[in-house]
Amino acid sequence: MDCERARRAISERMDGERLSHRLAAAVEGHVATCAGCAAFQRGAWTLREAARFEVAPAVPDLVEPIMAAVAREARERPPVRLRLLPGRRSAGPFLPRLSRRLAPVAAALVVGLVAGSLAAGGPWRGPERLPIAAADVTEGVARAASQLTAYQARFSVTEHHFGPDVPVRELSMNVWFRAPERFRLDVVDHTQYPTEDVTPTDLQLVANGSSWYSVGPSACPIGVCPRTETVVENRVPFSASTPTPTDLILPVATLADADQLEVLGEGTVLGRPAIEVRLPFERAKPLFPFLSLGGSWRPFFAGDRVDLWLDARSWFPLRYTVYPAPGRERDQWALRFGLPDESSRLPIFEVTTLSMSEQPPASSTFRIPETKRASDQGAAAVSLSDASKETGFRPIAPAEVEGLDLYQVVLPAPPVEEAEETKREETLITYSKGLTWLKLGETRRWKGNTLFGPVGLRAQEVALPNGGVAYYEPATPDHGRRLSIHAAGTDLYLETNLSRAELLRVAGSLPVTGMTLPKAWRVRTSPGGVTERASLERAAAELAFAALVPALEALPSGYTHASAELVRFKKTIALNVYFQQEEADFGAGPIRLHEEEAKKLPPASSAIQSEVEVRGVVGRWIPDRNQLEWVEDGVYYSLDAAELDLADLLALAESLQVYAAP
Amino acid sequence: MQDPDPRTLGRAREGDLGAFEDLVRMYQADVWRFAYHFTRDRSLAEDVTQEAFLRAFRFLRSFRGDSKFTSWLFRIARNCAMDAIRARKSHLAKEPPPTVGPPDPEARVELHAALEAVSDEHREPFLLIEVFGLSYQEAADVLHLRVGTVKSRMHRARHAMMSALAVEEDAGGL
Repeated sequence: MDCERARRAISERMDGERLSHRLAAAVEGHVATCAGCAAFQRGAWTLREAARFEVAPAVPDLVEPIMAAVAREARERPPVRLRLLPGRRSAGPFLPRLSRRLAPVAAALVVGLVAGSLAAGGPWRGPERLPIAAADVTEGVARAASQLTAYQARFSVTEHHFGPDVPVRELSMNVWFRAPERFRLDVVDHTQYPTEDVTPTDLQLVANGSSWYSVGPSACPIGVCPRTETVVENRVPFSASTPTPTDLILPVATLADADQLEVLGEGTVLGRPAIEVRLPFERAKPLFPFLSLGGSWRPFFAGDRVDLWLDARSWFPLRYTVYPAPGRERDQWALRFGLPDESSRLPIFEVTTLSMSEQPPASSTFRIPETKRASDQGAAAVSLSDASKETGFRPIAPAEVEGLDLYQVVLPAPPVEEAEETKREETLITYSKGLTWLKLGETRRWKGNTLFGPVGLRAQEVALPNGGVAYYEPATPDHGRRLSIHAAGTDLYLETNLSRAELLRVAGSLPVTGMTLPKAWRVRTSPGGVTERASLERAAAELAFAALVPALEALPSGYTHASAELVRFKKTIALNVYFQQEEADFGAGPIRLHEEEAKKLPPASSAIQSEVEVRGVVGRWIPDRNQLEWVEDGVYYSLDAAELDLADLLALAESLQVYAAP
Repeated sequence: MQDPDPRTLGRAREGDLGAFEDLVRMYQADVWRFAYHFTRDRSLAEDVTQEAFLRAFRFLRSFRGDSKFTSWLFRIARNCAMDAIRARKSHLAKEPPPTVGPPDPEARVELHAALEAVSDEHREPFLLIEVFGLSYQEAADVLHLRVGTVKSRMHRARHAMMSALAVEEDAGGL
C-alpha cells in the first residue's frame, strides 16, 4: 500500500466511512511501519481537536431581522400551497400518517384517544413550573400500576442517525396487556432502506402466563441478520429471563427513584393534560426494552437526556424523546461510533403514543405462535398443600403484602447439577395486583456458600422492622428489587417491583429473624489474597492508615453505602468500600473506593489515560474504566464506577474525609 | 449536521411562519459561521445569513428532499456568500476596505490563518466536514461535486492544513 492510499483511507475512516476489513487491516499494517503515515494520522486528529474545540466566534442573534424580512416577503408574495404528491418522499409508509396528525382522529374502541396538537409540548417552549414534586410522580405511577388490569396502545417510533445511509428510521409499536401476566409487544419497521440486504427490525414478544415467546432478527451490523425465535414453557412467574417489559405501559421501574428525576412542569401533549419529567438515558432504559429484544439500533450515551411526558390522570407515557447530552465526553464517545455531530437541542429518538385504551385485549391476542423447539424453565404450578407434600415443609408467608393478591405457588426446577434428584426443595409464592408483583422464595436445605436467591455478597445489609437483618440489592435490568434473608433453619429471598420501603415492610412481617452472614460466606480466598466482608467500622480499625470515606451528601443522587471488605495479600491490607443505588440500577453499577498503602501509582491498567489534579496531587484518569487514581500521604486511592464521569468522581474524591466510627 | 423534524419542515413548506422561524432558530448560527468563514467579515456574514434564509423561504417549495435540508441550506448560503464576495470586490475597487468586527479570540487566529493559506478547493471541504461535521455525501451536495472528489480533496486538505499550522506531520509530504 502506498502512502497516498493509506492517508486517504485514514482520512475516510476519521470521517465515518466504513473501510472493508481487508483495507482496514492493510492500513493498520502500513501505519505500523510508516512513520510518515503514523504522523499524518496523529496530526489529523490534532487538527480535528483544533477545529472542533476551538473558541467559537460570538454568533449574532439574527432571528428577528431574518423573520422581519421573511414576513415582509410573505406579505408581498404569499407562498403557494403545494399539494404533496403521493410517493414523492421516500420516507416510508409511516410519514403520511404523522403528517396528518393535526386532523382529529376517531376510533370507537379507543377510550383514551390521543391525537391533536403537538404545539404545546415542544421541549424548547418551557412549560410552566408545577408545584408537583418528583415523589408525587413516583407514587402516582406506582399507585396506578397496582390498579391497572388491561391496556392496549399504539406508538410511533422515530430513530435518527441509524447509519450513514439511513438518517431516519420510522417504526410502529403496539402493546397489549392483561393483568397479571399476559403481555404482547410488536415492533414493525417501516423504514425504506437504501439496499435490499438490510433486515428490518421487526420484533415480537408474547407472554401468556407460563409461556413466553420472542422473535426478531439477531443484533448484527447492517446486512442480513438471521431471525431468532425463542419459546419458553413452564416459565417462572415474573421471571427476569423471560421478562414482560411493562414500563412501556407505566414506567414503574424507570421512575422508582424520585431523587433521580426532575419534574419540568405541565403542559398539553396530544390534547391531554400532561406532566413532563426529565431523567438520564441510563435511568430510563426500561422505557426502551425493544433495544435489547433484537434487530439493530443506534447507540445511546448514558448521560443523554430523556424528556418524558406522562398523562396527568392515568400516568401513561404519552411521548418520550431522547436528546444528546452536551459536552466533549459525549462528542468523543460519538466519534467512536461514527455518529455525525448531534446537537443537544435536537431529538435523536422519539416514541409517541398514537392511541391507547384500558379495554381488555381479546385473549387470542396473547396466543403463542406454534414452534417446534421450546425450552422449559421447569416451574410447576401447585396448590400450597401440594407444595408442602413435595418439599416436606410448609412455606412461611408474610403478614403484610402491601395489598397484593396471592397469584401462584410454584416449585422451581432443581438446579441442573442436581437434575437427577427429582425432589424439589424450593417453593416460590407469588403475589400480584395490576402491574405490581412480589415473589417469595424459600428453601430449608440451602447448601450454597452464598446468599440464597439473586442477591450478591456485596449487597447492602439492612435492618428489618422485626429486629432481623437482610441483604438488599436495587432493581437491575435482570431483576427487581430483592433481598435475601438467612435465618435459623431456613433461607428466603424476596423479589419485587414494589418500592424499597414497601419491600422492607413485607420482609419485616415474615415470621423469621434474619442473621448476619456466616463467616464461611464472608471470607473468600483467591490468588489475589483473602477477601473478607466486614463492617466499615471493623475494616477501618484493621487498617494501618486512616480510612477516608466520601461525605454521604457528595454521593451521586440515589446512592448509599452498601458494603465494605478487607483484602489481605502478603503483608498488605487494603480496603474496598462499595456504594450502590437505593432503588434501581440500570447500568451505572456500584461505586468502588479502594485504599491501600503505596508510595506511587501502580502500572496503568489501560493505554488511554490522562493526568488530572485531584485533592492537590497529580492523579490519573482512565476513561475506559471510569477510574480515578491518586496517591496521597502514602496511600493509593482508586475510585471507579461503570458510568460516572470524571467530574462526578472528582467531586466525590474531593469530599473524602477521615472515617469516624459511629 | 442534524436535519429538522420532517413535520416542522412540512409546515414551513406550506407557509407556516412559526415553523420557518423554528428552522431559522435552529440553523442561523451555523449559517452565519459558515458565511463568516467565507467572507471574514461579521456584518457581511450577517447580510449573507439573512439573504440565505430569505432565499430558502422563497424556494422552500421547490426543495424536493433529494438531499438533506441542511445541505440544501448550505448550498444556498454558499451561493449567497459568493455573490457577496463578488459584489464586495467590485465595490472595493472604489472604496477603502470596510471595517471588520472585533478581533477574533486568539485560539481561532491560527486556524483562520491556515484556512486562508490553503486553496479554495481544500478550504471548502475542510470547513464543511471538519468544522461543520457534514458527511462526504452532504459536502458533495453542497459543493456540487462527486463524493470521490470530496474524499480525495479532504485528505489533501488535511495535509495542507497540517503544513500551514505546522502540526506534527511527515516533513516529506505526500
